[in-house]
Amino acid sequence: MIWDELIRAVAGTFFGAVGFAMLVHVPKRSLLASSLIATLSYVVYWGFLQLGFSEWSSVFMGSFCGSLAGLLCARRMKIIGTVFLMSAVVPVVPGLGLYRMMAFFGQSRITDGAAMGIRAMILIAMIALGLGAGSLLDRMIHSPAHRHASRAPGQEDASLRK
Amino acid sequence: MNYMEVLQLAGKIIMENGGEIYRAEETVTHMGEGFGLREVECFAVPSGLFISYRGEDGNPVTAVKRVRRLSRNLTRVDEVNTVSRKVFSGKMDCDHALRMLRRIDALPGAFGGAWCIPAAFLCAAGFAAIFGAMWLSIFVSGLVAALVQAAETLIARFRSRGLAASVLGGLLTALLPNLLSLPLPSLQVELVIAGAVMPLVPGLAMTNAVEDTMRGDMVSGLAHGAQAILTAFLIAGGALLAMALFRLMTGGGI
Repeated sequence: MIWDELIRAVAGTFFGAVGFAMLVHVPKRSLLASSLIATLSYVVYWGFLQLGFSEWSSVFMGSFCGSLAGLLCARRMKIIGTVFLMSAVVPVVPGLGLYRMMAFFGQSRITDGAAMGIRAMILIAMIALGLGAGSLLDRMIHSPAHRHASRAPGQEDASLRK
Repeated sequence: MNYMEVLQLAGKIIMENGGEIYRAEETVTHMGEGFGLREVECFAVPSGLFISYRGEDGNPVTAVKRVRRLSRNLTRVDEVNTVSRKVFSGKMDCDHALRMLRRIDALPGAFGGAWCIPAAFLCAAGFAAIFGAMWLSIFVSGLVAALVQAAETLIARFRSRGLAASVLGGLLTALLPNLLSLPLPSLQVELVIAGAVMPLVPGLAMTNAVEDTMRGDMVSGLAHGAQAILTAFLIAGGALLAMALFRLMTGGGI
């Protein structure tokens, strides 16, 4: 049962992310990598949920791992980071929650709609936090000062010579 | 050499095609430095950019470029980034850069025109599957998203993309599954709509809002954040309108 769910999650996220990436015209050579980043982001989210973590922390971990992997990919492939960060974000967007909020408001169930809306907003804030944390960590790791400090004495960093 | 034209074009392409504001500022500054210009400064806001450098005669040269068109084409942003890297490393001169940027500005999307429709189908169907929809609902979700994308492509020809497109997108995304549920009672309307709405999600604006804020540019971060929230509200507004319409059509009250 859990494997069925995992296969559905992996396949659904991969193809969904391929479609979304094509809609924003990502460079062709990044299509596969960006879709795999999206899949990683969702699988981490799903995995943390299965381990009993709350939805908020799972969303945070999904977008955090996705953004870290995405920025690493961007450096390796020399492609703008936005391509991968956007892919990391989209699968964990609470689309169903936002729809339910809208449906409650449509049925004049204001309290239910507001509760669902607040929950969706918190999840969106968690996505932003995960993305920001990943981006911050990446910059700390790849800052010239950090690379310089992590080198053996006598070794010079080419980027510092610029 | 018309350095200003090159710098303006580079910044404009990035901002018009969904790049972050900080990226436009950094690209213009790096390209200016690559051309050997002194005191290159760029200040960008979502609706335009200001560029300044010290001319060869020692006087400052300043220009403003308004950014009007807003689309989503990350291939163009990436290509400008490549040009910028070559200019900064001294591998490309001003004339060559200008030719390249003009070519990039006219570049169609990596997945041009008709590809957007199957892309929307794939996106919606994939996410509907994640939400737990059955095969029929997955297919209908993809179909609805493809129809909405076709409608958006059509109205983009009349240059009315943007806010109106978001409302129309939300309206069609919620109305079509409800109508289809009349002949197909087993359709999971909620999951179909949730999947079909995914291609409309302002994911790029959300990412840019976080990235600009993280770089300390609060004005651009807030502007992109507001754009993402406004788009989401317009889609929701369109969907609410569709629900009211459907109730009216099926004999219920508004």
